[in-house]
Amino acid sequence: MSIAHRPSDETLVAFATGTLDEGLALVVAAHIELDRESRRRTREFMAIQGELLDRVEPVAMAAGHPAEKLEQLLAIPAPLSPPIEADMPAVLRPYALGPWRPIGLRIAMRRVEVPGADSRVFMLRAGPGIALPPHKHTGFEWTTILAGAYEHEYGRYAAGDFDEADAEHDHTPRVDPVEGCTCLVAMTGKVLLQGWLGRLLQPLVRF
Amino acid sequence: MFDANVLIAAIARSGDRAAFAELFDHFAPRVKGLLMRGGASAELAEEIAQETLLSVWRKAAMFDPAKASASTWIATIARNRRIDVARREIRSRLSQVYEILDDEGPQPPDETISAAERDTRVRAAMTKLSADQYRVVELAFLEGLSHQDVATHLAIPLGTVKSRLRLALSHLRSKLEDLR
Repeated sequence: MSIAHRPSDETLVAFATGTLDEGLALVVAAHIELDRESRRRTREFMAIQGELLDRVEPVAMAAGHPAEKLEQLLAIPAPLSPPIEADMPAVLRPYALGPWRPIGLRIAMRRVEVPGADSRVFMLRAGPGIALPPHKHTGFEWTTILAGAYEHEYGRYAAGDFDEADAEHDHTPRVDPVEGCTCLVAMTGKVLLQGWLGRLLQPLVRF
Repeated sequence: MFDANVLIAAIARSGDRAAFAELFDHFAPRVKGLLMRGGASAELAEEIAQETLLSVWRKAAMFDPAKASASTWIATIARNRRIDVARREIRSRLSQVYEILDDEGPQPPDETISAAERDTRVRAAMTKLSADQYRVVELAFLEGLSHQDVATHLAIPLGTVKSRLRLALSHLRSKLEDLR
């Protein structure tokens, strides 16, 4: 997998420190799962936190060792892993997924239930050669491409790539004419869709 | 001499409680201190520090010194427990996402540097940061503050925060890349 587009350092630091909105973090995680370089950078940022932990002034604990809790822990069996769905990012496993719903000719979307997220998260699958509806947004639209590719004015985004679009962007992605495209998207703010497909999509992206 | 790797291995091997007590005495006050630096109250920091060390006990067998140093691994667990505690009312699953990435993210075969090397380099690079750069890195990492929050906190312009952090990160990056 050859990755051309990655999250910014600021985004990866926010991801590493666990302060991103959960929906946005999930899309970053899906990218990291696919991209060795971003995985390495995230590990470096975690190593910085390890270093800060070594250097910090310790603060004495009020309570002693949690001996009682330890006894309780020993009695708890290890949790079982949920079943794995083929071709799905492992990081989506903790979340409930809605059914694939057609939202137009050869376009389908599937909602990802992320309780507590300020963003809306969904998977989008589009057939080869489709032009996705031209749109603008008032917040972020972060996308990790899971399979296939699309292209817009900022370049070609293929499997594993991360598309970090903000309110400045106004784009019309065109899906790869051969492979089609499946991606994971998190959106904040309002999406302003244009065109007939946009009007179809509008009520769905608003959830 | 205190050796976290040896202690974690002893817990993994035989549930060694003396090893756990020693690890707890070393790390729990540091995790607490780190969280308080990050703005958590003493009570909250104490609770998360407890939870963190309990997770260390539970996950000791999964610790892989080739992937991360003990400090980095424990800082990672502390982050996950902090997320759990901060977001428990909304049934957040985010810490599971991090755990899936950490547990299953395949160790790339061509990653030649060991975790120990990476940590040594990060440590060396951090000592070379100016006091101003260090403070910005600390704020961005410890408190997960946005650039704007850091600017407000230090009462310096947003542009200064961005350039200091960018400089600090690129400095760290170049130190890390020397040895790759």
